[in-house]
Amino acid sequence: MSATVEQIKEAIQHTRETRKRVLHRSTDEIIGALAQTARNWIEPASPWRRRAVEQAPASTGFSTQMINEAVTLTFEALTEDAFETLLRREVGDRRQFYGPDLIAHFLAGNVPPPSINSICFGLLLKSANIVKLSAHDPVFPALFVESLREVDAELADCVAVLDWRREETELARAALADADAVIAYGDDDTITELRRLARTDATFLGYGHKLGLALVGREAMTPRALPALAEAATFDASVYDQQGCLSPHAFYVEEGGELSPCEFAAALAGAMAAYQARVPRGQLTVEEAARIAKLRGAYEFRAAADKSVALWAGPASWLVIYEEDPMFTVSCLNRVVFVKPIKHLESAPQFIRPFASNLSTVGITPMNPALSGVNERIETFATELTKLGVNRVCPIGRMQRPPLWWYHDGRPNLAELVR
Amino acid sequence: MNKTVTDIQRRVLALIWRGANAPTTDADFNELAQATFAFQFTRNAVYRAYCERLKLTPSTTSHWKEIPAVPTSAFKDFTITCFPVAEAGAEFHTSGTTADKTGKHLLKTSELYDAAIRPNFAAHLLPELGRSPQQVCRDSHNDNERLPMLILTPSPEEAPHSSLSHMIGVVMKEFGATDSGFYVERGALCVERLVHALREAEQARQPVFLLGTAFAFVHFFDHCKQHDLKFKMAGGSRVMETGGFKGRIREMAKPDLYVLFERWLGVPSARVVNEYGMTELSTQFYDQTLREDCQTDRKLAPPWSRVLIIDPNTGNEAKEGKHGLIRVFDLANLWSAMCVQTEDIGVAYDNGFEILGRTAGAEVRGCSLNAESIPIR
Repeated sequence: MSATVEQIKEAIQHTRETRKRVLHRSTDEIIGALAQTARNWIEPASPWRRRAVEQAPASTGFSTQMINEAVTLTFEALTEDAFETLLRREVGDRRQFYGPDLIAHFLAGNVPPPSINSICFGLLLKSANIVKLSAHDPVFPALFVESLREVDAELADCVAVLDWRREETELARAALADADAVIAYGDDDTITELRRLARTDATFLGYGHKLGLALVGREAMTPRALPALAEAATFDASVYDQQGCLSPHAFYVEEGGELSPCEFAAALAGAMAAYQARVPRGQLTVEEAARIAKLRGAYEFRAAADKSVALWAGPASWLVIYEEDPMFTVSCLNRVVFVKPIKHLESAPQFIRPFASNLSTVGITPMNPALSGVNERIETFATELTKLGVNRVCPIGRMQRPPLWWYHDGRPNLAELVR
Repeated sequence: MNKTVTDIQRRVLALIWRGANAPTTDADFNELAQATFAFQFTRNAVYRAYCERLKLTPSTTSHWKEIPAVPTSAFKDFTITCFPVAEAGAEFHTSGTTADKTGKHLLKTSELYDAAIRPNFAAHLLPELGRSPQQVCRDSHNDNERLPMLILTPSPEEAPHSSLSHMIGVVMKEFGATDSGFYVERGALCVERLVHALREAEQARQPVFLLGTAFAFVHFFDHCKQHDLKFKMAGGSRVMETGGFKGRIREMAKPDLYVLFERWLGVPSARVVNEYGMTELSTQFYDQTLREDCQTDRKLAPPWSRVLIIDPNTGNEAKEGKHGLIRVFDLANLWSAMCVQTEDIGVAYDNGFEILGRTAGAEVRGCSLNAESIPIR
C-alpha cells in the first residue's frame, strides 16, 4: 500500500520526537538492543526467521531455503563487537557525536543485508529514520523493525518504514524535504533521480551497481584443497542467486597447479549442483530465464566445435562456463559463472582494469593465514588489486560475509554522517 | 549440386509458389523438414557437431520439433552454410546494434530467398490483389493499381549487406509503382524529399505505401512535430514498419507508435502492419491486420515455415499462452540453417503468435551489474 504525503509528514514528526528522547541514551545501550534483536533472529527456531521464510519468497523471488540462508548471513554480522569496532574505526573514541537529525533511506531490496545495516547505522547515530522500501523486499526491513520493537520500543519508534512507487516523486520529495542525510541503493537512474530531489545541503550516500570476481592461485589447485575450494566458491556465487553486488561473475584460475583450471570448473559444477539440491535457485521471470537460455545456447553451440569452451549446467538452476578467452565476461546472474584460465595470477589486472571501478569485491585463494599460512605472492598481488581501485579483497568463501565495518563501495558508513 | 538438395529446393519452391494461403499439413512439412535437416547435418560440420553433442541427429529424430536449433549467436561465431563459402551469391550482415561481432548469413543464390519474400508480402500487405498466387506477379498486376512505395531504408545498392534493404528492393520491383523510391541516403533520412512526395500524393488523392524501420518513422514524426506538418493520406494508404529500436535513441511501445501514424499521416492503425524479419532467416512474418481488416499483433507463419515458443527454463515447447523464446523453422533457409533459435520473446496461440520483445534490455532485479548495463568495451 502506497503511503501518502500526510503519512510521510506524520512519520517524520513522530520519529523526530522519539529521537529527542533517544539522544539522551547511551550508545552501549543502543548497541545492546540491536545485537539482542539480531540474536533473536539467528536461532533456528526464531519466530522472526520463520516469518521471513514464510513471507519473503513471494516478493524477493528467492527460495525458502535461500531466505533462511539470508537470515543467517544478515544477522550473524550484527554483534556487539562488530558495532563497537565500526564505531571505533569511524567515529573514534569520542563519547559525544551527533548524527543527522533525519536520515531518509531508499532501499534496493535485491539482498537484505544492506537494508538492515542501513537502518542499524541510522540508529547507532541516534537519528530519526524514514525508510522507503523496495518492491523486491518489503518484508525484511519491516520485520526487523517489528522485532526491534519487542526488544526496545523507543528505538523502533525512531524508524518509520513506508512504501510507495518509484514514480511517485512527490512522495520522495516529501521524505527528502526534511532529510539531513540520504542513503540510497539502486541503479544509476534511481541514484541520480534521488540526488536531484534531495536537499542541496543534505549528505548523500549513493550505492550503485557493482559486481565481484574471484581469483584462484596455483597453490590452491591441489586434490586435497579443491573440494573445499569449490564449495566456498559455490557459496559466494550462489547466495542471493548472484543478485548482490558482492557476487562473483567469474573465477580466474591460474595454470601450473597440480590440477588444471578446467578441473576447477568441473569441481565447481559439482558443488553448484550440491548447493542447488540444498538451497534451490528462486523462480525466474521469463526474461531472466531467457537471458540464461540465450547464453547457454551460444556456448553450447560453440562448445561442440571449439575445444577452448566447455560448459556444465544443472536443470534450470545453474550454469558453469569454462572459456579460455581471458577477457572478463559479465554474467547474466542467477547462478551463472565463468571460469577462465590465466597463465599467471599477476597478469589478471590487465583483464580487470577496464572495469575495476565497477568492482566491489575480489575473492582470492589461498588467502587464509589460518589454513595455508601467509602467502607472500598472494599478499603482494592483493595489494596490487587495491591499487586498481578494488575496495575489498577477501578469501573465496567470505565474499558474501563482509564485516560490518567494511567500507561499502570504498566509503565509510558513518564517518560522513557524523558531526 | 547434388540430386537430393536439388529435389528439396524444387519442392520448397513449389510450396512457396502455392502461396501464403495454402497451408501445409504437419506430415508434408515434416517430410521436407527432415530432408532439409539430413542435408544440413551432412553439409555443415559445425552444426553436425552440435547435433551430435545434443544426441539429436537425422537418425534419432522423427519430428521437425526435435530438430536442433542454431542460435543466432552462431552466425557471429561460425560460418553457417551448407556450401563452400567461395560460392556465396549474396551475403547479409546483422546490423550490430551492440558492440559485439557482426553475424553473417551467406546465401548460395537468392532464388529461394527472393521467392519466399513475394507471396507472403502480397498476402499480408496487398491482400486486395486476390487470394490466387498466380495474380500476385508482375504481369497480371495492373500498373494503375500499383501504389507508390515511399521507403524509409537505404536502397539495396547503398546497403548491399542489409537483408531488409534487399527484401524491400524485391517487393518494390515486384509491386511498387514506378515513382517508388528510397528515402534514406548516406545514413540520413531525406526529410524534405519525403515531405514533398507525401504532399504531392496527398493533393492528388493518391494512396501511398510507406515502408521502413520504426526508428526511421519515429525520427520522421519528430520532424513533423517540430515543423507542425500534418498529412491526410488517401484511403488505401498503408504502412509496413519493422523493429530496429534495439540500442537506439529511444524505445517506444507499439500502440504509442501506431497513434503517431494516425496523427501525422492520417493512416489508421488498422492500415499499419508490423514485419518481423531477421538477417539469419529467409522468411518474414507479418501482423494479420490487413488480412483481417482490423489491427492485430498476431502473426502467422507461412506454409513453408513454423514457429515454436520455447520455455527458457526447460528448453521444451512452452504451453499455449505462455511467454517464451521464439524458434523459427524456415525451409527457405535450405543453404544455411533451417531451424534458428532467436533471442526474441513471444507467445503462441492456437491461431498464430505474437512478438513481445527482445531478451536484452529487460529489467534485471538486483544491484549486481548485468551484461546489458556494464559500460565497458
